[in-house]
Amino acid sequence: MMAKRAVIMHPLDNVATVVEEVLPGEEIAAILGSRTITLSAAEVVPFGFKVSLVDIPRGEIIRKYGEAIGKASADVPKGKVVHIHNLDGIRARGDLAQRSQP
Amino acid sequence: MTFLGYVRPDGSVGTRNYVLVIPQGFIASKICDFVPGTRTFASPDHGSGRTGPDREVIARVLIGLGRNPNVASVILHAASPGVGYPELAVERLAREIGRSKTRVEVLEPARDGGTLGAIVKGIQLAREMVHEASRLRREEVGDEHLSVGVKCGYSDTTSGLAGNPAIGYLYDRIVSAGGTAMFGETTEIIGAEHALAKRAATPEVAAEILRCADVMETKAKATGLDIRSVNPVPANIKGGISSLEEKSLGAIHKAGTMPIQGVLRYAERPPARGLYFVDNWMGHLSIFAGYAASGANVVLFQLGGGGVQGRTVLEPAPTVVVPFLWATANPSTYSAASDSIDYYSGTVIEGTETPEEAGERLYRTVIDVASGTLSRGETLNWSDPIQMYLQEPQF
Repeated sequence: MMAKRAVIMHPLDNVATVVEEVLPGEEIAAILGSRTITLSAAEVVPFGFKVSLVDIPRGEIIRKYGEAIGKASADVPKGKVVHIHNLDGIRARGDLAQRSQP
Repeated sequence: MTFLGYVRPDGSVGTRNYVLVIPQGFIASKICDFVPGTRTFASPDHGSGRTGPDREVIARVLIGLGRNPNVASVILHAASPGVGYPELAVERLAREIGRSKTRVEVLEPARDGGTLGAIVKGIQLAREMVHEASRLRREEVGDEHLSVGVKCGYSDTTSGLAGNPAIGYLYDRIVSAGGTAMFGETTEIIGAEHALAKRAATPEVAAEILRCADVMETKAKATGLDIRSVNPVPANIKGGISSLEEKSLGAIHKAGTMPIQGVLRYAERPPARGLYFVDNWMGHLSIFAGYAASGANVVLFQLGGGGVQGRTVLEPAPTVVVPFLWATANPSTYSAASDSIDYYSGTVIEGTETPEEAGERLYRTVIDVASGTLSRGETLNWSDPIQMYLQEPQF
């Protein structure tokens, strides 16, 4: 079976973006320049969604393009989809700004 | 590279050749109904009850459209609700547009026989002016005369992977040729502003980019909401974008890699050529008219895909006088609405084209449309109203 393709935008990234839909248990070949990292999908990863390349503990920064795109709001095991259910934005959080007020 | 354009008296070069009738409203609309080759627009933003700073924004839109290189000549009328304010006085608009050596004619209903008299006079003038404009021939000119503006929308991960990088290639190509390129959407640099600031031509420009992002983030926080309930928009989230930061970091790829020469306000004309950040808002009824007023002669909408399912016709955003192109890297979007889309870069994701090859193809597409080929949007008779980027309360 051909591995499904994913793209890693930057060496610092802990997620890859799949460029075709991946089914549970399928192999993912995540490409970073001339390197390829292979991993197994733990669940369905829809086209264009992100998959974790490593185990990401709750609270850890999630990186794409080599930059912080948020932090993990739950433990994210390797091979799982990373999206709004387990990634929190950090910037422009009016909800947090108000909560932190006395 | 060169394109075929209309050389104007001030040396700027148009990609189209229209007679513009403004401000918007009944008189302008009726004149345009009678005379092909004319352009006007619809908008509730006429200035009445607006503060000075907002009236100045409206004036910049009207003056900027009048000075756009795609405009051969302008008819102004003095029957707009905002005309009594000094910023929007018809004499001021005529004087400012005239700085581009553009022919300007003024209709005064009080002098010209009332509303209907002004319309009749306007039709007579417009017929003569479009005939005069039609005598101008396109000439071969350098691509330093291109001025482009862009927005990305319905963004999904294909936007960051291939769509925006293709625009970035185009921007680098135009800016290195000595042309002008504008990008903006201030909310969507939050999380990526430090990367943009590093590319500023001067420390002052860097500080201004950071200030714009900070002002917007402060406004966002004052709402008490998680910005994710507003932006990324539902279509972005459906497309795989998980946070505003992720959206921003993908979005800035459309700005290419060249130094940023300055920060412009909405509808402000750049002081020189080069790459500019515009402190504007992403709304498609707002941003493209702003670029047109800043002097753009081609604009592009880089489209993702989440949320456009079922749309098989994509109507153009209002630009009044500027050709509008749809670009996408999303294969589903492209196959659903291929006859509305001018350019597809999903080839990079599919592995059939390199980013450079796809970028070069976009550049040639833009040159082609600049030279007179219709954009797909120009094959539809449709224009939404313009929503000017006014930020103050109304009274």
